[in-house]
Amino acid sequence: MNEKKIKKMLLLSGIIFVSVFCLAPFCWMLVISFSTRPDFLLHQNLHITMTNFLDVLSTKSLHFLDYLKNSFVVASITAFFSTLIGALAAYAVSRISFSGKTTLILTVLALSMFPQICIVGYLFKIMSTVGLINTHSALILPYISWSVPLALWLQMSYFSQLPSEIDKAAQVDGASRMQVLTKIVLPIALPGFMSTVLLLFMFSFNEFLFALMLTTDHTARTVPVGIALFQGLHGELPWGYIMAASVVSCVPVILIATIFQRRIIQGLTQGAVK
Amino acid sequence: MSRGLKEAFVFIAPLVLFVSFFILFPVFGTVWNSLWQDIPFITRQFILFNNYIRLLNDQQFWQATLFTILFALLSVCLEMIFGTITALVLNEKFHLRGVMRGIALIPWAIPSVVGARAWQLIYRYDYGLANWILQTMGIPSVNWLGSSLGAFTALILADVWRTTPFVAIIILAGLQTVPKDILDQAQVDGANMFRRFFKITVPMIKPIIIVALLFRTIDALRVFDLVYVITGGGPGGATISLSLYGYKFFLLGDFGYGSAVSITLFVIAFIFAMIYIKIGKFRSR
Repeated sequence: MNEKKIKKMLLLSGIIFVSVFCLAPFCWMLVISFSTRPDFLLHQNLHITMTNFLDVLSTKSLHFLDYLKNSFVVASITAFFSTLIGALAAYAVSRISFSGKTTLILTVLALSMFPQICIVGYLFKIMSTVGLINTHSALILPYISWSVPLALWLQMSYFSQLPSEIDKAAQVDGASRMQVLTKIVLPIALPGFMSTVLLLFMFSFNEFLFALMLTTDHTARTVPVGIALFQGLHGELPWGYIMAASVVSCVPVILIATIFQRRIIQGLTQGAVK
Repeated sequence: MSRGLKEAFVFIAPLVLFVSFFILFPVFGTVWNSLWQDIPFITRQFILFNNYIRLLNDQQFWQATLFTILFALLSVCLEMIFGTITALVLNEKFHLRGVMRGIALIPWAIPSVVGARAWQLIYRYDYGLANWILQTMGIPSVNWLGSSLGAFTALILADVWRTTPFVAIIILAGLQTVPKDILDQAQVDGANMFRRFFKITVPMIKPIIIVALLFRTIDALRVFDLVYVITGGGPGGATISLSLYGYKFFLLGDFGYGSAVSITLFVIAFIFAMIYIKIGKFRSR
């Protein structure tokens, strides 16, 4: 057998292995969410139904729609403001030379690597003191701080790709730095801005530990916490509901991930390659 | 203030403000708190290092430390191997490669809690998919979540599933920087593909492998979501991670001790980061 054939076989088995491994748990979740009972493997009686979805979306006491709404509110506000703050800083870092620039970048990056547990206990105390526990702000404020290093990092690489001559020309014409950013740089870098927003939306939508600690009920609780704390009435977990809720919560992030796959991969790798 | 800093101030101020107030300040607060016996409404007393001394004699703490380090080392090792394989596959040209890349992103893109719930159901002893597959292959059922070793394996497998895509994406970026003509020349010179991979590709992407290792190890050390959902730290505390252990004390209201546990986790992560940074610098020179 020549090398080409071996390579082809290896590639094919690799493709099959990777797809099965990545998809299997997700497909299993889909199957359970559409089946009447989670233990059909035991009794060999698979019946398809939509009731899990309908129940999860319509039963008021499950509060799943509240969780969804909270997640959307928190993740969108976080993503937008974090990207904006990141853009401001990224502009300064890529265009203005100032002392302590490297220190700033490295410190911000190092901070985002901190274990969240080192923050969440004290954050709980702060939020209780100012009476923000169980509000959207209690999540949005730390989420922005937590995701802004990534926003800075991603946009730094977008901005540094733009030639600085365009800023210089505008400044000669009398525009201030801030005008240059808002009127010239940001519009050109809009695709980068948007993909940063989407990536940060995904991260905030998926976050768990802060949300678990800083919320107490459906007024601010997000989807991941809702799914993790799903309780059964009689001890047995309502797997059909849990899986249906899980599938629904995967829809937005999977849409983002597949549509903007190329940009996300680009964004994540730019930092690493440098 | 220098002229540059004055000019940059407006732009970096919001970032600095947010990061200092909601990350730096709480971190220092946690360090400070770890020196107190602090249970709200009951006691608040400065006890210096007594929380840390209590840690030394805390059997469960040592078990959590051991679990966390073993979990991180083993899962990161496996993720690097699977991630590299996935990256090699995605780097080849074939039909539907775009679709394939999308599929590979799914485990990483969906909420970790959702993935964890799916695995929890798969691991069920009586009607879980894992045991059903084992049985169809003629292998006796495994008590995944009821035994320490089973639960450990279960968590590693779920973590490998969730984070392999991330490693694959980073390594893929590295693979794309390897010049194709060098590989082609080596092929002409008679080096087979395994030799080409280990002698050319791996040395060239070494820096990026170290970056992936660094990110992943630090992330794996702070594991919380998976453990919280899949095992809850069980059976009998065998899979309590340091993050979960710290959280349990925060939940009980013992903020001083919980802070001490958290700071220990930070120190461990810091030591790992230093080791990798040392290795990385050493190799690239």
